[in-house]
Amino acid sequence: MKDTVNLTVNGVRYSVACEKSESLLDILRDRLGLFGAKEGCGYGECGSCTVILDGEAVTACTMRDKERIDGSEIMTIEGLADNEGNLHPLQEAFVESGAVQCGFCTPGFIMRLYALFDKNPNASANEIREAMSKNLCRCTGYEALWEAALLYQKRMLGEKDGCARK
Amino acid sequence: MAFDYIGKDFTRTDAYAKVTGTARFIADLSFPGTLHAQVLRPPHAHARIRSITTTKAEESKGVRRVVTGLGCDILFGACGLLDQSPLAREKVRHAGEPVAVVIADSINNARKALKKIEVEYEPLKVLLDPVESALNRDVLIHERLGNYKHLSSYYPEPGTNVFHHYRLRKGDIHKGFKEADVTVKADFEMPLSAHSALEPHGVVCRWQGKEKVEIWSSSQGPFLLQGVIADMFGLPHANVRVHVPYVGGAFGGKSDVTIEPMIAYAARFVPGHAVRYICSRKEVMTSTVLGRGMKGSATLGATKEGRFTAFRAELYFAGGAFGDTVTNIVTVAGHNSVGPYAIDNCRVDAFGVYTNSPPVGAYRGYGHPEGCLMSERLVDMMARKLNMSPLELRRKNFLCEGKTNSLGETIRDHNGNLFKCLDHVEREIFSNPKPAEDDRYLYGRGVASMMKSPKGATNAGSCCQIKFCEDGSVHLNLGGVDMGQGAQQAMRQIAAEALKMPLEKISVYSEIDTQHSPWEWQTVASMFTWRGGNAVIKTAYKAIEILKKNASMVLQADVETLGYNGEFIFLKTDPDVKVAVRELVRGYMYKGGLTVGEVAEASASDRLPRYVEPDPRFGMGNAGGTWTFGCQGCALKIEKKTGKVIIDKFVSSFDVGRVISPQMIRGQIVGGVVMGIGQTLKEKIDFSGDGKITNANWKKYRLPTIKDMPGKQVVICVETPEARGPFGARCIAEHPMVAVSPTILNAIYDATGREFFKTPVTPEELLGVMDK
Ligand code: FES
Ligand code: FES
Repeated sequence: MKDTVNLTVNGVRYSVACEKSESLLDILRDRLGLFGAKEGCGYGECGSCTVILDGEAVTACTMRDKERIDGSEIMTIEGLADNEGNLHPLQEAFVESGAVQCGFCTPGFIMRLYALFDKNPNASANEIREAMSKNLCRCTGYEALWEAALLYQKRMLGEKDGCARK
Repeated sequence: MAFDYIGKDFTRTDAYAKVTGTARFIADLSFPGTLHAQVLRPPHAHARIRSITTTKAEESKGVRRVVTGLGCDILFGACGLLDQSPLAREKVRHAGEPVAVVIADSINNARKALKKIEVEYEPLKVLLDPVESALNRDVLIHERLGNYKHLSSYYPEPGTNVFHHYRLRKGDIHKGFKEADVTVKADFEMPLSAHSALEPHGVVCRWQGKEKVEIWSSSQGPFLLQGVIADMFGLPHANVRVHVPYVGGAFGGKSDVTIEPMIAYAARFVPGHAVRYICSRKEVMTSTVLGRGMKGSATLGATKEGRFTAFRAELYFAGGAFGDTVTNIVTVAGHNSVGPYAIDNCRVDAFGVYTNSPPVGAYRGYGHPEGCLMSERLVDMMARKLNMSPLELRRKNFLCEGKTNSLGETIRDHNGNLFKCLDHVEREIFSNPKPAEDDRYLYGRGVASMMKSPKGATNAGSCCQIKFCEDGSVHLNLGGVDMGQGAQQAMRQIAAEALKMPLEKISVYSEIDTQHSPWEWQTVASMFTWRGGNAVIKTAYKAIEILKKNASMVLQADVETLGYNGEFIFLKTDPDVKVAVRELVRGYMYKGGLTVGEVAEASASDRLPRYVEPDPRFGMGNAGGTWTFGCQGCALKIEKKTGKVIIDKFVSSFDVGRVISPQMIRGQIVGGVVMGIGQTLKEKIDFSGDGKITNANWKKYRLPTIKDMPGKQVVICVETPEARGPFGARCIAEHPMVAVSPTILNAIYDATGREFFKTPVTPEELLGVMDK
């Protein structure tokens, strides 16, 4: 028995036939060939599969609710850089801060933070920490990830202030 | 020495691919005609296999083949003890062992078929405790231990469960203890734990007939894997081609050959198909390798002035079902348990013991955290008994110029300076008085010192290849795996320095392919920057020599009279007389097209000098190869209500010889410290009585999250250039994890007055002792 789900991923519309048991992560990776979201655990504990579904960061590996997926707007790591391949400032902050080691957790952390700051640019340190605690990284000890988050927020808010003043 | 590219930060060469999600890891590769493998694991940790019936599974939908170990007489070993078969035969020795592999058109169909395999088992007694297993002669996990092929530096004891016994006999232990005015002794334990690299292990295997195979793997040792697989089938090694894409963290867990022999064996029944197998997280924890697993006791003796006179230890490693990958761990744990001190009389017995758990393999610093826990807790206890500062006591005994370590190697100044490391830690942690206990918290501070040597094959080497493009840009090629540590970027910076060329002109390899990559033993033991870096420098100099030779014809000058600056070869006496490197890389072409000279491609290699296996009787010799020393310290508080440990500050100071990239080295160190915090306060593999792992998932096996980060981490690199290191650099990668446990346990003692000798120390345990 296959379900058909319609979804928009990074601005592109897809109609996908998939099995009931398939997760959003399976759809992205196996059906759409988008390998940016990673599977570290498969049950919602590591966050390496984090993508943004209708503005919310979700672990794609546990998202099996086809009704929720159907008609949704998904954003994955592949949708973050611009069409010329220029990095998004959040990605830049990761590179500059040395937040990337093996890189397996990177897409998940970036999407988690993108969703957070998109909703709440002024997120407090505690809110940022809370959001980031849903993802695991075994390489960095979190320090550089934390700095990347703060660096991005600082720049983003700085820019906003700049605009407001003009 | 002034450097242009060493000691500076640049954008990592792999950063763009990793932040855009375009970096391809093993699970991201796709192949036409892929078949999927799934694996049957036994319900027992130790049992005889009476029968396996696969008929129903074979008839199941989508199934191409069901493979068991029946009739397979292959034994393999990656390190030097051939005690493992690709699939279980006759018996299972741990609950994660493969009993059958189903190959089907989809993962789901393969899983469904697994349930249709019928296996009859006869359960046997399960042994989990290494001391109990070492003494038990009635229940043997490997009855045929005496028949296994092994390296001459391995000492199995047939008729027992002991597959390796390393003994260190330095000086006269009786005399040493006689000279001692004071002794301290304790029992220690560091349980099995899971590496937990975020990326699960994966492999894809495609046979071309039965004689040639191509493998894609998340391995830290592609060339090792090549040899192991080829030997399994008696093939020329060159018939096995191994590719390694990006690797999502490893920490040693991907250095040992784990799932590949099983899949290579099974895939050979379906030649032409790419057979893909990616471990579930559970399988990573139950069916690849685990780390640590040490139980032991140690005694330290000292004079009343604080001179260490004797060290004695016994270490038992719960090596799991197969000993191949544990044997080196046992050896290094043995000779490193003494600590970074000059002690004339040492006697250590370290045993690798078969138990019914997954095999133990290399895990960040293997053997060293286990041994360091012993020496560093004992030194603190000794300091208290002698009424001496633990820092002073360490200084009195530190290894330094002219002193000999446990192996009998003479330490030289260029090996590093422990005093400087300890001074930094002292200043950062002990400059101010400790806060007094308050309503909420107890406060404590602790310190520990460490040393680490690599352990590997004595011929372990790294090779490098440099080739120029027509425009003078460079392909830099090595076989060292970048699993996140930044190997590619480090090599690139070293090459830029050696070739005096801007980084942008150097394109570094991003995947390994045994057919095209230069040979690399394995990327383990923190040796790659050191060894690979040396290989890069040697290769660069060879390449420059070729350029000079070509230029010497054009400039009609002897090679010795020529200089090189990255852009030109010029006359030393008149730099205006010059020819561009770009014009020399494929030989020199005169105006009419006539071309002379050589193509500028070079390769060179490096290995540890005079590195040998320990002497069989005394366990000594040049078996350390090279050393890195360091000290760590922390200031913590313990919440009285909850028993929670909050680390306010953690300081690490290592003598790294030379920093290649400050940002990358800091990343290695702070990452290693947090991993060490997990080991000390949280992580432990739990077993049920019948040998099944009860927390083989990240819901129950709790890794540190961002909330476990210390309040502040201070990293201070001492730079005493190593005589033979690339630009003076020394090994650093595993080291940050080695002394974390004793550092924290020493601080917990300082806070609570209670001794802990076992990790992890949980809030419940702390609540227990604080109540009293
Ligand atoms: S893979 Fe989805 S949370 Fe781990
Ligand atoms: S960078 Fe490796 S898991 Fe985060």
